Amino acid sequence: MTTENATNGSSESLLAVRGLKKHFQVGSGLFGRNKLFLKAVDGVDFEIKEGETYGLVGESGCGKTTTAKMILRLEEPTEGTFEFEGNDAETVGKSKDLTRNYKSNVQAVFQDPWASLNPRMRVGSIVGEPLEVSTVLTKTDIADKVGDLLEEVGLQRAQSNLFPHEFSGGQRQRIGVARALALNPKLIVLDEPVSALDVSIRAQIMNLLEDLQDEHGLTYLLIAHHLATVRYMCDKVGVMYLGRIVEEAPTEELFDNPLHPYTRALMSAALPSHPDIEREEIILTGEVPSPLDPPPGCHFHPRCPSRFEPCEGTVPVETQPVPDHRVVCHLY
Amino acid sequence: MMTSSERIGDVVLDVQDLRTYFVTRWGVVKAVDGVDFQLRKGETLGIVGESGSGKSVTALSIMRLVPSPPGHIVGGKVLLEGQDILQLADGEMENVRGSRIGMVLQDPMTALNPVFDIEDQVGEALRIHKDMTGEVLETEVVDMLRKVRIPAPEIRMKDYPHQLSGGMRQRVVGAIGISCDPAVLIADEPTTSLDATIQAQYLRLLRELQELTGVGIIFITHDFGIVAKMCDRVAVMYAGKIVEQGDVRQIFNNPSHPYTEALIQSVPKMEVREERLYSIPGQPPALWELPQGCAFADRCRHTHDKCLEAYPDVFDVGDGQVSACWLREKETVSAES
Repeated sequence: MTTENATNGSSESLLAVRGLKKHFQVGSGLFGRNKLFLKAVDGVDFEIKEGETYGLVGESGCGKTTTAKMILRLEEPTEGTFEFEGNDAETVGKSKDLTRNYKSNVQAVFQDPWASLNPRMRVGSIVGEPLEVSTVLTKTDIADKVGDLLEEVGLQRAQSNLFPHEFSGGQRQRIGVARALALNPKLIVLDEPVSALDVSIRAQIMNLLEDLQDEHGLTYLLIAHHLATVRYMCDKVGVMYLGRIVEEAPTEELFDNPLHPYTRALMSAALPSHPDIEREEIILTGEVPSPLDPPPGCHFHPRCPSRFEPCEGTVPVETQPVPDHRVVCHLY
Repeated sequence: MMTSSERIGDVVLDVQDLRTYFVTRWGVVKAVDGVDFQLRKGETLGIVGESGSGKSVTALSIMRLVPSPPGHIVGGKVLLEGQDILQLADGEMENVRGSRIGMVLQDPMTALNPVFDIEDQVGEALRIHKDMTGEVLETEVVDMLRKVRIPAPEIRMKDYPHQLSGGMRQRVVGAIGISCDPAVLIADEPTTSLDATIQAQYLRLLRELQELTGVGIIFITHDFGIVAKMCDRVAVMYAGKIVEQGDVRQIFNNPSHPYTEALIQSVPKMEVREERLYSIPGQPPALWELPQGCAFADRCRHTHDKCLEAYPDVFDVGDGQVSACWLREKETVSAES
């Protein structure tokens, strides 16, 4: 179980991210003056320990998917460093072998299984493609391995001849998981892996991911907006708002003792699991501000129910009011 | 807030044995196959189901907006305040839509037309159904916008959707939904999920509208969380039929159909961490090759011979809760004897 790993404090960090930033240039004035930058990710630090699941939560536009893309090397960071198994990004980038090693060790499962599988390819080629590209296996070996992978995710070997449209949503997501597993990765980035699926199928996929984690000692980075999913799957959670992590703690600590006003508002907005559960409704005023022009001081202050003088002018610094529980808020 | 007994009045919508079939190349798809439910004034009914369960087609059938061909309402009655609207001529039905049955779409970003101003869009139904024009119309639009708490409505109604914030746009959509004081409001959930804080705002708005007008709301959703938060009663749909129906607390505390029970157990909860979720095996059946017996039988924990032979009758399990499951047969028999 993942909880056992969580209590094992000695486990090594697999991925460490420091000061990660991604600024997109969205317009330039005359002769390049008045350049506008969209700060999608604006200084994010976190560490994922081996065998754990780290969750990034937040609303659309908070930068969680951009963070995932940078970790997958689909976007180049504007600033910041990674460390994967002790090798920093610079070193990884300079060596071809290390880059290849990194890319096969970090795989992804995407949100929409209708969009993430090529409709013209047979399942066998979809799952086998990473093996063709990154290994020297023969065709028969690949076919063999693909069969094993399909069985591992709960499909049948013979189904490798079928096309994606011949599968249901849940089965397609299983194909996506099989593809991610093909190269025996260490880290799998799960970007909203169940939110496009039917309710009765979500538990199947979540349980499959949990089982695979136990069997292979996998590490997950889960991007999600559904708090209940995060509580079920994650060992540690970071809450993002406008490109920054505003709070981070081990899952149980975060849900039992949310500190940041934004985290509290998110939890109060979550739907109850029983009609008798009545939550205090924290009403956030206004909208998420544009990341093109984030508010000064604490990004959250215009909507924050507990704001006071320093929030407007000063950027809050990170504190740890409880060990291992980071929060970026002037209240603490 | 009012208690549910003060809020809920007479039956405004009575759907009886509604059947909507689609003719496809795979055969006849019985998307809605014998659906019965009632909605009272001031009540919120949740119709829950997965994709393909028939929940959205049920809503479209009530509005008579099923695309035809291939869809046809082949049987049943939809009594709106006593009148069977399935018997109305198309022109008469147009007078019902938007005036006696309203609709709100959850996604405020796509529900408004970007090239018309707010006054035009809120006033459209009033102009068509109530023949309002000129100053009368303008006053009514201002009044509607004030009801949904848009600040400075006289000025804001000249704005276009892009000039409003997401929350205000939602309120405008709400104002359109109730502009003609409908008896029934249908809220169909978008397929992609909204952010939690946006969704919370939307749900709060619907509650306000209901308290304001006493409208009966039908919530079409796949999410038991929405049901728990919003609904007085629930109808659970599976493969075109209602498998269980009843009071929301009874359904959560004492689900009488294995599908409902399994579905509630398979959803993770934010309040506690579960060790292991129950996962329903298999997947929803294809509607063009439904089995002879219960459609849920091959995924059910309690399947026995009878389930494979015949589709279950609907059993009354007490207090208005009904269940289409053979497991309930013995209970009801013993209750009678």
